[in-house]
Amino acid sequence: MPRLPPSLLTTVARESPLLSLLLKECRTLESARNELRWLRERVLRDGPAPGWATRLRSMCRARSRGLPLQYILGDQPFGDLDILCRRGVLIPRPETEAYTFQAAKLIRRAIETSGTKSLSVLDLCTGTGCIALLLHALLAPHIEQLRVIGIDISPAALQLARRNLTHNLERGSLTDRASADVQFHLADVLRDDKHDIPTVEAVLFDQGLPACDLLVSNPPYVSPSDFRDGTTARSVRHFEPKLALVPPSLHGQVSDLGQEDVFYSRIITLSRKLRPRITVLECGDLMQARRAAAIHESVTAEVSEDFSVEVWPSGQRDLEENGFHAHDGSRCVIIQRRDKDLCRQPD
Amino acid sequence: MLSICARCLLRSTRLGPRLPRQRAALHTDDPGLSPALLTRARFLAAEHAQLSDRLGETFDAKAAKRAGELGPVASVLREWDTANESITELKSLLNDPGTDTELHSLAIEDLESSKASLLTISDRLKQSLIPRHPFADLPCLLEIRPGAGGDEAGLFAFEMLRMYMALCSRRGLRPTIIKQDSDSGTGEDRLAEGVIEVETEGAYDLLRTEMGVHRVQRVPATEAKGRTHTSAVSVLVLPSFPEDGSSMDSALNFEDPNSDYYIDPQEVRTEKMRASGAGGQHVNKTESAIRLTHIPTGTVVSMQDSRSQQANRKKAWQVLRAKIAEARQEAREQEIMVLRRGAMGGVAKMGRGDKIRTYNFNQARCTDHRSGITVHNLDNVMDGGDGLETVMDSVRTWLNDREVEAMVVEEQTKQQQK
Repeated sequence: MPRLPPSLLTTVARESPLLSLLLKECRTLESARNELRWLRERVLRDGPAPGWATRLRSMCRARSRGLPLQYILGDQPFGDLDILCRRGVLIPRPETEAYTFQAAKLIRRAIETSGTKSLSVLDLCTGTGCIALLLHALLAPHIEQLRVIGIDISPAALQLARRNLTHNLERGSLTDRASADVQFHLADVLRDDKHDIPTVEAVLFDQGLPACDLLVSNPPYVSPSDFRDGTTARSVRHFEPKLALVPPSLHGQVSDLGQEDVFYSRIITLSRKLRPRITVLECGDLMQARRAAAIHESVTAEVSEDFSVEVWPSGQRDLEENGFHAHDGSRCVIIQRRDKDLCRQPD
Repeated sequence: MLSICARCLLRSTRLGPRLPRQRAALHTDDPGLSPALLTRARFLAAEHAQLSDRLGETFDAKAAKRAGELGPVASVLREWDTANESITELKSLLNDPGTDTELHSLAIEDLESSKASLLTISDRLKQSLIPRHPFADLPCLLEIRPGAGGDEAGLFAFEMLRMYMALCSRRGLRPTIIKQDSDSGTGEDRLAEGVIEVETEGAYDLLRTEMGVHRVQRVPATEAKGRTHTSAVSVLVLPSFPEDGSSMDSALNFEDPNSDYYIDPQEVRTEKMRASGAGGQHVNKTESAIRLTHIPTGTVVSMQDSRSQQANRKKAWQVLRAKIAEARQEAREQEIMVLRRGAMGGVAKMGRGDKIRTYNFNQARCTDHRSGITVHNLDNVMDGGDGLETVMDSVRTWLNDREVEAMVVEEQTKQQQK
């Protein structure tokens, strides 16, 4: 972490001691000021209750120790939704928001060209349920029948995802049909042997869903070394669940697959059975996205079907509009099945 | 007197819309109302009568709206005619040698009061002739930026933000601060840019008197040697369009490419501003700033106040639309101004760059340079109280007077061309 210039520290200290606390984690005056305003707005939301100043100070102190703002405030905007956040479940990121919008845009185009009336969506490693819920909010007005299934291995995440469903129904950001259309189920994405946690296939079989149209996932993708060596921010390392960040090591399985890529391999294999028109997988960076694309190539090598695979965003306009760095930072892989009858390849 | 009025009223209603043509020739005792304006009023009243006839048969929303707009013109014009007629009759009574002395003195008294009331009526007639501002019915955005004067300008801009917030709250206008930026290295009470959204319809009309450069003269809190400084703060009043443009009139529907206020999304560059480097699961940044650039005009709007990027994007679009609509409207007004200037030989419009008002703290006064009004209760003005409203009202009257002047010139040129 680069050292902050002393002049900045003195200005900030003069302005407010709370701001100095926030600056430790925020690193820029701009964002420290924004966070202070958001915290203050939250504390004073229902008018100045006794002890609000003390509460605000303790919130700032927690923030200076690295506790994510979203865990302090308890929520994070995601599209037009308000996603509740709790310790133990990964906080939704703005990149994920961008991928979700892009996925919705692509599948809508596919619906329009093929004229289908029903759509099924599968979200693996759903966490807070943010992707599944936002996709429902974006797609429901354009399709008659919509089913969205979110899968996660963590009971805490599933509980929170269900709460997010009701929370957003209550605040009117989801239409009433979402309560029937969206479901969250416990399953282990990685294992397909006998285990006390059901497999994805088993869950889908129970639900009578042999296939899906859109497969999205933001799986754990941080490598153990990235987790340790400072690439991963302190706040993330200390306060967010490792389960959602670093994939488990698969002992005894001989492969040249890096530990950080195990989910891609498994999800792409799974997608051979589910035959989605569009698959969107979040990756840590450009290299990982290319590796995921390569996994897809090798899995579908002997198949006669035609796919288009792209790493998104890559054009300058897409990068800028979605706040991505030109070289670093997260990317996603978008795999589209070229099906001459159903889904014509858009431009 | 009373009986005369009643008769006139009856007569005018009986004869209906055919009257104007005959009456246009009627000579008037009104020095305030020029023949040109009278012709315009007759023309509009005749249009109103036509519309009312048509509305009697079939309902048409567009015609009804236009008729509603013209209604005041027609009714005030009727009042004006009535007053004029009674004056004429009184005069003929005075000129008649057969009138007895008692009646004569009564008639003189009546004539005086009638002439006085005619003046107020013709004033109202002038006001009713002023065309509605295209944005008059809209809610508005009020943008405040410090100008020359450094820190002090920022401090005063912040006080003005509070002043307008207080004014709007007091008037029940639902104001929200949608943007409040301060420069890095300065305190939060020093505004770099502030935008207030006033959601109530018609707020644009109410606040448009505030557009321009406001000047403050005082010994700033930051001044050690006790010298008086002069600084400036500029205020922009922008129309605020609803999110869904199709609910608007066709002229104001910004989603319609034929509308004057349409913005091609292709011409707007969106940037989400994020600190560079790693992203995704590795970090958890809370930045949500959005910057929009309208490429043809170079207009830039950035928004970071909400935690939600979506909300920031919507607000940024709202401000961008407002700015471009205002700029286009101003360009159109400028064209009209150029046309008028030839006839009027002077300029009567205050642009956004003109100094419009001075707040002098040493003398505890607030002077508006357009209407020339001075209010001495400066504290009350800064609290957004009655004092501020008095100033705003006087400016509104001033603005209307300028409009009337311009209208006269316009009608005169029209008639000369005929």
